[in-house]
Amino acid sequence: MEFLQLAINGIALGAAYALVALGFVLILNATGAVNFAQGDLVAAGGFLAVALAGFLPVPGLLLLPLVVILMAGLGLAVSAAAYWPLRDRPPVAVFISTIALGIVIQNGLNGLFGAEPRAAPPLFSGGHLEFFGLVIARQSLAIMGVAALLIGGVQLLLKHTQLGRRLRATAQDREVAAALGVPVGAMVALTFALAAALAGVAGLLLANQFFITPTHGTDFIVKAYIAVVIGGWGRVGGALAGAMLVALFETVVAAWTDYAVATGLLYAALLTILVFRPQGLFGEAEGRRA
Amino acid sequence: MAEALLTVAGLTVAYADVRAVEGVDLNVSAGEVVALIGANGAGKSSLLKGLMGLEARVQGNITFAGSDLAGLSPLRRARLGIGYVPEGRRVFPGMTAEENLLVASREDSAARTVRTAEMYALFPQLAVRRHAPAWQLSGGEQQMLAVARALMTRPRLLLVDEPTLGLAPATAQSVIRVLRGIAASGAAVLLAEQNARAALATADRAVLMRLGRIEASGTAKAIAGDERLLRSLMGG
Repeated sequence: MEFLQLAINGIALGAAYALVALGFVLILNATGAVNFAQGDLVAAGGFLAVALAGFLPVPGLLLLPLVVILMAGLGLAVSAAAYWPLRDRPPVAVFISTIALGIVIQNGLNGLFGAEPRAAPPLFSGGHLEFFGLVIARQSLAIMGVAALLIGGVQLLLKHTQLGRRLRATAQDREVAAALGVPVGAMVALTFALAAALAGVAGLLLANQFFITPTHGTDFIVKAYIAVVIGGWGRVGGALAGAMLVALFETVVAAWTDYAVATGLLYAALLTILVFRPQGLFGEAEGRRA
Repeated sequence: MAEALLTVAGLTVAYADVRAVEGVDLNVSAGEVVALIGANGAGKSSLLKGLMGLEARVQGNITFAGSDLAGLSPLRRARLGIGYVPEGRRVFPGMTAEENLLVASREDSAARTVRTAEMYALFPQLAVRRHAPAWQLSGGEQQMLAVARALMTRPRLLLVDEPTLGLAPATAQSVIRVLRGIAASGAAVLLAEQNARAALATADRAVLMRLGRIEASGTAKAIAGDERLLRSLMGG
């Protein structure tokens, strides 16, 4: 029973991490580059929710559309500042520019909100529900629901709409996509907007579960990075599974040992996977990415 | 001869200090197949990429259907009616065959469905494999998909780069036959090929390239009859 309780908490945490990892993979596939500011966008989303709650004292669910829209706008700005001027340079240039932008975001948040930990409002209300002896926080259920809807929505967009097909074509072969008349610049900018919106929602969700600080973004990007490496570089499904694994280490394994040991074991697991399966658990030969 | 759909004058394509294409003059009219023939490294692919706007360092004049293409992005050129079948097929590997077709269309959903059905009629094998991921298709199927994908854009000029490379002879023949059919329907086809025999058998005119320059040009029939010229160019 204790395991089940911990697993539910872990799945809720993993659902939020999955949103971060999904955005990370979308940009990775679209540009071939790592967006190292993705974690700082999570922190920005959390602080945005905190700020909006100061003006609008409503449940987090009502703030969510505003967070999505404003964070999508921030994603477009990230694309314009950190990607667009370097689009013809090697991916490592974007990697470095997004690290720089992440530092700007961290310091911007520090200047605006201070270094004290802050908390965003819950999606519906606080409290918990009990099922057969299991105590489940309403926020955990809400996180799982929102994350499932968003991840499902992104999958529907990618698989069943012309816009989604264009986003995927751009991610798989930008030159050929352009030669077919796909507006690849707009597709990449949209990908940044989508990734930032997902990060923002993750920030709103996590800033209620845990306090958030301006430097918290570094933790999130490291977790997203590990999730993507474990799942398979560039694999959407793998990143989601990897995010769940990271979260289960932080909850289930940490409860049985302690947080520091669980973190050490997570890194040991990562190294083991890299040794025996360098392409990640769900990775395939290059050129087969979905 | 009808007025040229594509007119190229003094085209140069360069990479760093190397000129892959130098001073090429060329024209292609609606309804004809023009074959670009030459050995590996002759500059055929660079020429096609230059026409499609995929190379940064291009000089010279390119006019398509009365529009000057200077400075236009590949997107704008595609939307003017230039289709491109790249060397090595380059289908979108993680998408199904059908998704590869659909993504290239700029029409509404109903017209997209109609056009896809037309492509399946042209390449029945693709209809059978429509739900397979593109990376699982055979080389021949991928080549058919690459041609069909470009045709989804309803091009007035189709640039085709090495469509028979690595294909079994029978498959290569069927791809070439389709290109002939495309020209018969009124579009222009500019076909880059190392397989001189296959290209000359289907083309109306041929342009022979060596080291980035045009070495000779004429009707496909006349070029095909000049064994010595062909051997000297292709190194055979």
